[in-house]
Formats: sequence, C-alpha cells, structure tokens
Amino acid sequence: MKRLPFNPGLITPPQTKAQAHSKQPLSVSELTAQIKRAITTALPSTIHVIGQISNFKRHSSGHLYFTLKDDACELSCVMWRSDAARLKFEPKDGLEAVATGHIEVFERAGRYQLYARKLLPEGLGELELAFRQLYQKLSQEGLFEQARKKPLPRFPKRIAIITSPTGAAISDIIRTLHRRFPCVHILMYPVRVQGDTASKEISAAIRRVNTNATQLGGVDLMIVGRGGGSTEDLWAFNEEIIARAIYASRIPIISAIGHEVDISIADLVADVRAATPTAAAELAVPVLHEIIEDLSMHEARLIRSIRQITTLATSRLRGLENLHCLREPLDFVYQREQYLDELGHRQFQRLAQKLRTLRMRVEKYDPIIQRINPHATLRDRENRLQHASQRLDWTISKLSQHQDRRLSQLTHQLRQQALDLKLTHSHNHVMQLRTMLKSNVRNYMTSLGDHITKQQQLLNALCHKRILRRGYSITRIKKGKQLLRSVKQIKDGQRMMTELEDGEIESQVVNLSQLELFE
Amino acid sequence: MAKKKLTFEESLERLETITQQIEQGKIGLEESIDRYEEGMSLVKQCRDMLSKAEQRIQKLHEKADGSLGTTKFDEPKPS
Repeated sequence: MKRLPFNPGLITPPQTKAQAHSKQPLSVSELTAQIKRAITTALPSTIHVIGQISNFKRHSSGHLYFTLKDDACELSCVMWRSDAARLKFEPKDGLEAVATGHIEVFERAGRYQLYARKLLPEGLGELELAFRQLYQKLSQEGLFEQARKKPLPRFPKRIAIITSPTGAAISDIIRTLHRRFPCVHILMYPVRVQGDTASKEISAAIRRVNTNATQLGGVDLMIVGRGGGSTEDLWAFNEEIIARAIYASRIPIISAIGHEVDISIADLVADVRAATPTAAAELAVPVLHEIIEDLSMHEARLIRSIRQITTLATSRLRGLENLHCLREPLDFVYQREQYLDELGHRQFQRLAQKLRTLRMRVEKYDPIIQRINPHATLRDRENRLQHASQRLDWTISKLSQHQDRRLSQLTHQLRQQALDLKLTHSHNHVMQLRTMLKSNVRNYMTSLGDHITKQQQLLNALCHKRILRRGYSITRIKKGKQLLRSVKQIKDGQRMMTELEDGEIESQVVNLSQLELFE
Repeated sequence: MAKKKLTFEESLERLETITQQIEQGKIGLEESIDRYEEGMSLVKQCRDMLSKAEQRIQKLHEKADGSLGTTKFDEPKPS
C-alpha cells in the first residue's frame, strides 16, 4: 500500500476521550500547555491568598521572589519590579500576608506560581507596618538622635519654606512670621505635598536649598511641612527619601506636618518638630517688640550701672579728700615728737628715782659710822663709794648711750620724714637733760665727800674722850704736851699732866720702875 | 577690639555680656566706662539693624542649570 503524502487537511484531531485513552505519549510542552489551559480556565483571574511569607528574596533586578505557606502547603510567588515599587513596607520572612494576583504556569520550570500584584500585611495596616519598619531602621542608624540635632538660630535673616504654595499651611506660616518678626526674608519653595511624587520633590527641594544657600544670600532656617490631612495624604513625610534629605541638610529644619497628633518620620528626623505650621513659625522667629524691649532693658541697665559706679567712685573720692592724714599731714610728726618728749621725761624720772634709792642707801650708813670706829673701815667705805660712783657713772653713760642710739634711730626715721629741725630740738633737749643728770650726780658726790670729811674731824676730836669715859686716862709730859707712852720718856721728880674724862691732874714722878717683862 | 561687623545675634550676645560685666562691678571704673560706651553703641546698632530690615517674600523656582531663581510671591488668600 502506497503511503499517501502528508496532508494536514486529512487529519482529524483525535477525540478527547480517545486521546485520553490513547497510548500515544504527549510531549512535555503539550502537557504543560494543557495544564496551563486547564488552570487558566478553572481559576479566576484575581485570587487573594493568605499565608506566611518565607524564603523572601529581592533580586538585583528588582523582582521579588517568595513562598507563601500554611501548615501543610507552600505556594511559590513572584512580584515584578513595577509592582514591588509600590509596596510601602518591606516584606519579611514570617510575616502573615495577603497576596493578590493570578496563578500562572511557569513552563520552563514546570511549576505553577502566584504572580502577585499586591501584597498586604495581615493584622496591622500596611502603612502602620511600613512606619514601624522604617522607624526601626532609621532609629538603629541614629537618625533620630537628639545629640546630632542642630540648634535653631536666634535671629534668622532668611527662612526657606518648603510646602504647597496654595495650602493653608503657607498662609499660616507667613501670617505668623509677619506678626512676630516682620523683618525676616521668606523664600517660598513650592512643592507637591501629597501623591506619589511628593516625597521626591520635597527631598530634592531640601537638597537644592542647601546647595544654593550661599547664592541665595545665606539661608538660616528651613520649614518643611503641610497642613492637616488623612494618613495617606501625609504619607510622603513617612518616606525614607525625605528622612535622608532632612538628615543630610546643613541648614536647621523645623518640620510642621499636619496637626498635633500626626507624627511622621520627617518630624522625628527634623531638628525641631512643630505641632502645626503656625507653631513652626513661632519657633522659627522671636517676637520683634520683645527684642526691642530687651534692647531698651539692656540700655536702662547699662545707664543705671554706670551711674552707680560713678556715684560710688565720687563718694569714695570725697571720703579720701576728708581723710585726717591728708588734711593735717604734720599731725603724724607731732605725735612722734610728743612720744619722744615723753620718753625723755620718763628716763629722767627713772634716773632720779635710782639716785634717791642710792642716797637712801648711803644715808643708812650715817648711824653706823657714828656707832663704830670708822678708822678701819673708812677707806674701805670710801673705796666702795668710789666704786659705786664709778658704776653709777658708767650706768648713766650706758643708759645715755642706749638712749643716744634710740634717739639716733628715731632721728633717722624723722629725718626720712623731713623733720630735721624738730629732731635737733628734741636731741638737744635730751642732751641737756643728760648733762643736768651728770652734774647733779657729781654735786651730790661732792657734798657727800664734804659730809664725810666733817664726820671724820668730829670723830677725831671725840674719839679719845670716849675712851677716857671708860676709865682710861692719858698722861702727857707737862712741858711740850707730848704723850707719855714709855717710862723712858720721864725721870724721877719730873712733873706730868694726866687727863681724865672730867678734868686733869698734875702729878710728880716718885718712883720710876721699868717692866722687865717688856724689855 | 577688632572692628569686625557683628551679626545681630553676636551684637546682642556682646551686649548681654557687657551688661553683666558692668553690673557685677568686677571691672574698674575706666573699663566700665569704655564698656558702657561700647554697649550703648551696640544698642544703637541693633536698633538700626531691626529698623532697616523689612519683610520680603519671594518664590523660588528651579533653573535649567540646577540653581534657584527668585520671583515675586503672591500670598494665597487663606481659604
């Protein structure tokens, strides 16, 4: 049988039933195509699947690959780059999530996969999760640290405001700045504050103001923000790109996003967070009239202080002018002179007292001299007196030398104070006193000597009569009145005179005999 | 002292320092008078600076070369 040439028209497709039972094998591609068809027709084009994310992988191409699983089963999932870009949060292993997409067979690998267009975290809201994730990340990097926040200038000259040119925020800010500090220069940087491009525009504006600050004449401060709105409206300010731009800014930034209750990532990174746009303007500038009052207060304090200082100085000067020592400069000298006079007088009195004491001591000897025979002791007493007199002289000269020394010291001091005249006077006075003292002592010594001589004469006259009173007698050879001391002086028959206490007897020598014993 | 032009903030800070120094009375009479004169001239300078500055509002726009230009800004009517 001759085989007919191949004519596709003659081929009838095999009946499905027949094919199923046919032993004829299918190619892999044929089977895969059948499976793909079967799945596509059997499943809806949009499927929501809930499961736990595992094996999450972000490929360098930007596509996401992960598995959704529950206790028993696993499902491979893919999310293309374009869809992944719209994700607010960062998917992570272990996260319970709902993926939305369709099932498709990946022919090359022979497996079916879920092609996810959306992925939402289960439980928490998507935005809340995104916020928490970004918060944790930036916090770990230190973007919220207080230590790195820049201080705001006290008196900003030029402020850039990055916000919508049409919202309530800009008019609130401008009105408040104008009310408080009308001399500030405002640079308005219009940006979109919501929608997909908002975060890019705002962060670009922050960078641009920084790069062009010098060209703009120096920008001291930036206010970045917008008025109130829904969480979605404010979302741009929770994006990482804005946080990074704020962190990198050299110019201090005040954030003012929404109302008091709205806190965004941008608020946390900003140097100062204001609750509202109006509050931002209040934080940005001082109140002008308060500064003017402050200036006036400083002026008043300066004037008051300088008055006090000069008044005090004047009264101190008056006080000095009235000082005694300046008005009566010689008083000091007079006082010293008076002291010197007193010193001389006291010294004189001390010497006079010493003299009196000595005189009393000398006078004590009078009765003794009267009582005893002074012949033996007279010379001795005279010597002792002489000696005492010498010592006295010596003491006086010593004292006067000492006094001289003190005087010359004082004189020297006084001379230094230009007081020659008065000193000489005082010195002379003391010298006079000294001379007087010396002559007084000498006079006394002379009169004492005279007194002693008189006593001696008296004694000479009286002495032998006192002996006669005790029963002795003195015999003299009558002629010549020579004292009879030896029998050899007289001969028998010669006359002699015997003196007794109360008279004289004239007698004649009758018997003269010599004492052999004394020969 | 170097006669460098002080900013408003520096002027005010200097003024505060001077006021304190004079009030504490730790400096001598002559220095007090010098400081007083300096302080009074600072008060005048600060007042001048404040009265000279006036509010300006300008709008920024991006130029092709990446720099920023300024134009007059008309405040929006508050809604």
